[in-house]
Amino acid sequence: MKKLTSKIVKGFVILLVSCISFIPFYYTIIMATHSTDEVLMGLNLLPGKYLIENLKNVLHSQYFVAFENSLFVSILAMILNLLVSAAAGYGMVAYQFKWKNVLYNFVLLTMMVPSTLGMIGYMQEMRAFHLGGSLWPLVLIWIPNGFGVFWMTQYLKNSLQIELVECARLDGCGEIRIFTNIILPCIKPAVITLCLLIFLWSWNSYLMPLIMINKADNYTVPLFIQTLGDEHKTDIAGQITGLLIAIIPLIIAFAVFSKDFIRGLTEGAVKG
Amino acid sequence: MKKKNSMAKWPFVFVGPFVVTYALFYLYPMLFSFWISMTDWTGLNIDHKNFIGLSNYVKVFTDDPMFWKSIWNTFRIMIIAMPLTITAGLLMAVLMFHIIKCRQLVQTINFLPYITMPVAIGLIFANMFNKNIGVVNMLLTKTGLLNEKINWLGDSRYAFIVVILMCMWKNFGYFMVIYLSGLSTISGEYYDAAKVDGANAVQRFFKITLPLLRPITVFVLVQGAIGGFQLFDEAKNLVSGTGSTIVGGPGRSLLTIVWYFYDTSFQNNSRYGYGAAIAFSMTLIIAIISFINMKMLNRKEE
Repeated sequence: MKKLTSKIVKGFVILLVSCISFIPFYYTIIMATHSTDEVLMGLNLLPGKYLIENLKNVLHSQYFVAFENSLFVSILAMILNLLVSAAAGYGMVAYQFKWKNVLYNFVLLTMMVPSTLGMIGYMQEMRAFHLGGSLWPLVLIWIPNGFGVFWMTQYLKNSLQIELVECARLDGCGEIRIFTNIILPCIKPAVITLCLLIFLWSWNSYLMPLIMINKADNYTVPLFIQTLGDEHKTDIAGQITGLLIAIIPLIIAFAVFSKDFIRGLTEGAVKG
Repeated sequence: MKKKNSMAKWPFVFVGPFVVTYALFYLYPMLFSFWISMTDWTGLNIDHKNFIGLSNYVKVFTDDPMFWKSIWNTFRIMIIAMPLTITAGLLMAVLMFHIIKCRQLVQTINFLPYITMPVAIGLIFANMFNKNIGVVNMLLTKTGLLNEKINWLGDSRYAFIVVILMCMWKNFGYFMVIYLSGLSTISGEYYDAAKVDGANAVQRFFKITLPLLRPITVFVLVQGAIGGFQLFDEAKNLVSGTGSTIVGGPGRSLLTIVWYFYDTSFQNNSRYGYGAAIAFSMTLIIAIISFINMKMLNRKEE
């Protein structure tokens, strides 16, 4: 009997906490289904009928442009970062060379440097390259990433079979081909997780686009969303619908890949 | 011999792209920023900069109340929000550990806030805590808990509470998931032995679970501190989402370090020189705090 009550209490607490976690999303979804007048009039806890209309309004604005820009940035950042990180991780695990430990410690150090430190210099550098105001600075900043290299190194340390590399070498396979055709397919789980994380971080990134992008044609989703808040509040329902569209792609990605996401983000905690 | 030489280049071919791009997009900009921090460069006079030595740093440390206020604000938010979030995450992880039904679902739901776009979080909370149309005020007045609507984001004390709630809401699920994975590494034998000795659930928690989760707690603290010092997106949009254009919100109580850096360097006449000095000064302070923190954590361990 005592066990049963404790189980019920536990279940209740878990339910309550989960509700609190979900309420802001629920609220946003509900608001997106009402017209602005209804939102202004007061408390709605049930869905309304205006979702389609709100969606139409939002999609007629510049949203698509921002969405395309964000996709461009995040997909490129993801691919380039993956190639550079995987190559560096492989280089550090599969070969012996001078400075290897120095390099590894350097990678760890780079993870602790605040991103704001070089920001002003980076902005001026990009201007000098005539890339100021374009989307390229937002992509380039993701190519070298300490976490990416660390992640790949950790994974390869545990899973790389050096005999496999040596066999391929004896068969006359070139070093680059060993990496692209044998190693990369073998480390698929690490690749998926890293891709998801880089996509997540670059998609949500705000400060860098804020200082780099100055015209609406090159806005990424966070910048576009921000202007939704700045404008005179005439179309509140539209703004909220915009918010919803901005967060939904990642929520879907997360729902599909939640295990990989969680593993990536909690890695290091358990391994110390 | 020839073969060896031809192999020697390969590690550098593989690590090269990382090293080169890091030097190009991080290292050089940092050195450049450091040099800028010793000039009086501004966006108003873009072609002209004078070397002024360490004057910017002297000003930051001795004659800039806003810098210290932003440090204090950031610190204050972290020192209240982190213990609350960590405790909540740990307790929830312990509660959930033996429950197998719906576990994946509960984990996913509580983890969602952590991956949600920070800008959107700021705006959603600005909406929920809006004085006139926000759901929080409406619920509180309708249920009779409040007679008058609270201007949550117009008063520095209430705005502080909202930021704390927002930080807790965002990070709680992340900490919970980390603790859950930590709990799964603790062997059940410890608990069995303690049960035999007659230890109750509370004793088991404090004598076994908590000490064994120590490395996880350190990790969570470090992660929380890194995130906390970077707080900007949510705070800025929480304020601007209410239509306010005040930098730092009511009474500048939400002006975080990064926000102050952003405002000095890229708004407000773009004072690049001074902004760069702020970036280096805050990194120095963060490094000192982290160092002291680490020393203290290590001492406790001994």
